[in-house]
Amino acid sequence: MSSQTARVSDQNVTETVKEIDMSKNFWYADWSFPIFVALLSSGIFAGTHMYYVYKIGAFNDVAIVAMLEAGIQGAGYGAAAAFGASFLFARILEGSLVGILDIGGSLQTGIGIGVPAILLASGITAPLDNFILALLTGALLGLIVGYVIIGIRKFTVNQSNSTFGADIMMGAGNASGRFLGPLIVISAASASIPIGIGSIIGAAVFYIWKKPVAGGAILGAMILGAIFPISLE
Amino acid sequence: MEVVEIAIKSIIIGALVGIGVGAGAARMFHAPKVQGMGAFRTLGELNACAGDAASHFSFGLGFFFNAWASSVGAGAFTQDVDHRIIPNWAASVLMRKGKRPEDTLHDPKKMGIVGAIIGMIVVAFLNLTASAIPESLQAIAVKVLVPAANLLINPVMPVIFWLAALDAGKRSGFWGTVFGGAAHLIMGNAVPGVVLGILIGKGVDDSGWNRVTKTLITSVILLFVLSAFFRGFDIRLLESMYLETPGWLKDLHKLLGLEVK
Repeated sequence: MSSQTARVSDQNVTETVKEIDMSKNFWYADWSFPIFVALLSSGIFAGTHMYYVYKIGAFNDVAIVAMLEAGIQGAGYGAAAAFGASFLFARILEGSLVGILDIGGSLQTGIGIGVPAILLASGITAPLDNFILALLTGALLGLIVGYVIIGIRKFTVNQSNSTFGADIMMGAGNASGRFLGPLIVISAASASIPIGIGSIIGAAVFYIWKKPVAGGAILGAMILGAIFPISLE
Repeated sequence: MEVVEIAIKSIIIGALVGIGVGAGAARMFHAPKVQGMGAFRTLGELNACAGDAASHFSFGLGFFFNAWASSVGAGAFTQDVDHRIIPNWAASVLMRKGKRPEDTLHDPKKMGIVGAIIGMIVVAFLNLTASAIPESLQAIAVKVLVPAANLLINPVMPVIFWLAALDAGKRSGFWGTVFGGAAHLIMGNAVPGVVLGILIGKGVDDSGWNRVTKTLITSVILLFVLSAFFRGFDIRLLESMYLETPGWLKDLHKLLGLEVK
C-alpha cells in the first residue's frame, strides 16, 4: 500500500514537471528534435558503412538493400538513389505535417540507402569506407532533415488543420505488412519442396501461437533448408 | 581482429540508433504537440501491447527472429530493428513490475537511455552472429526472402496504397493515380507517387487550395521533373516514340555528368 502511494506521488511530480517544461525540456522540445534525428541517422548511415565494408548491418529490408547491392555490383545506382531520395522527400513533408517522422522511409531508406547510392554513383566512396566519416555524414544529414522538419512545422501546422491523409497511409502500410507472411511461404515453396514444407509448418505454428506468420515461415524454411541445402545457382 | 572491429562499431551504432529510436518513439505519444519520430504502425503496435511487458517482449521477439534470419541471409537488418524490436524491448524492460506506460513508455528520457542499451546488444548480436553463420543458410534467404520481398515492394505495396488512395475519395484517387503511374514510369515504383497523391488529395480535401497545398503540389511536380531528367527518362521517352534526340539535350545531360547512349 505504501509503495502504491509512493508511486502515485511520484507520478504527480513527473506530470507537473512535464506540464511546466514540455516546450523547454530537452527531451520534448522542438529544438532538440534535430539532435535526435542526427543521432539516429548517424547510426543508420554507419550501418550502411558496415554493409558496404563487411556485408552485414544495413538498417533496411532485404529488397531495398538489394537495390544498393545491385549498384555496388555494377548495375547502376539509379533505382536505389531515386527510390531513396523520393521517399526521403515524401516523408519529410508528411512527417512535419502529421507530427510523426516515419524513420523507415526518411532515414533508413532515404539517408541509409538513397544518399549512399547518390554518393557512390558520383564516385564518392570515403563516407562509406571510413567509419568516423560515416558517423559524421549521417549526423550532418540528420541535423539537416531535423531542421527542415521543424522549419516546415513552423510554417504549416499552425496554419492548417489537415492530417494530409496520414490515417490512410497508416492503414495501407499495415495492410501491406500482412502480405509478407504468405509471400514468404509462396516463394519458399517455389525454392524447393523441403524448404516449402518447412515454411508451411513454421507459418502454421506461428499462427497458432499468435506470432507474425512471416517470422515462422522464415524460421521453418531455414531449419529444413539447413538439413536439405540448396545451391545459389 | 575483424570481429573486435565489428563489435566496437556495432556497439557505437547500436547506442546512437537506440537513443534516437527510443526517444523518438516516446515523443510520438505527445504528437502532434511534440514532433516525434518512428512510424504510425509502431505507435499503433506499442498501444496494442497495452502496457504489458510480456506482450512488448514477445512482439519484439517475433520480429527479432525475422531480423536475424534476414541479417544472416542478406546482411540486411530489416527496418524492424528500429521500428519494432528496439522500441518494444525498451518498453518491456521499463514496464516490468507493472509500471504505468505514462511514466515509462511515454518518457523520452527513459526510453532513450534504455533504447540505447537494447540497441547496443541487438546490433552487436546481429552483426556478430551473422558473420559466424555458414553460407548454405544464405542461399535460403536469397532464394526465399528476396523474391518474397521483391513481390511485396512491387506489385503488392503499390496496389494496396493505390486502392487505399482510390477509396479515400475523388481527389486522393485522382492524384494518387496520376502520380502513382508517373512514379512507376520514372522511378520504377509507384508507392512514392501514390503517397504524394494521397498527401495532396487529402490536404486539399481538408483545407482547400491554400498556400501549403499549392507549395506541396509544386514541389511534388518539381521532384518528378528532376528525377525524370536525372534518370534519363526524357531521352528514353523520345527514343520509344522513334524521335531523334536533339543534340542540345544530349549535351545538357553530358554537362551534368550523366551517361547518354
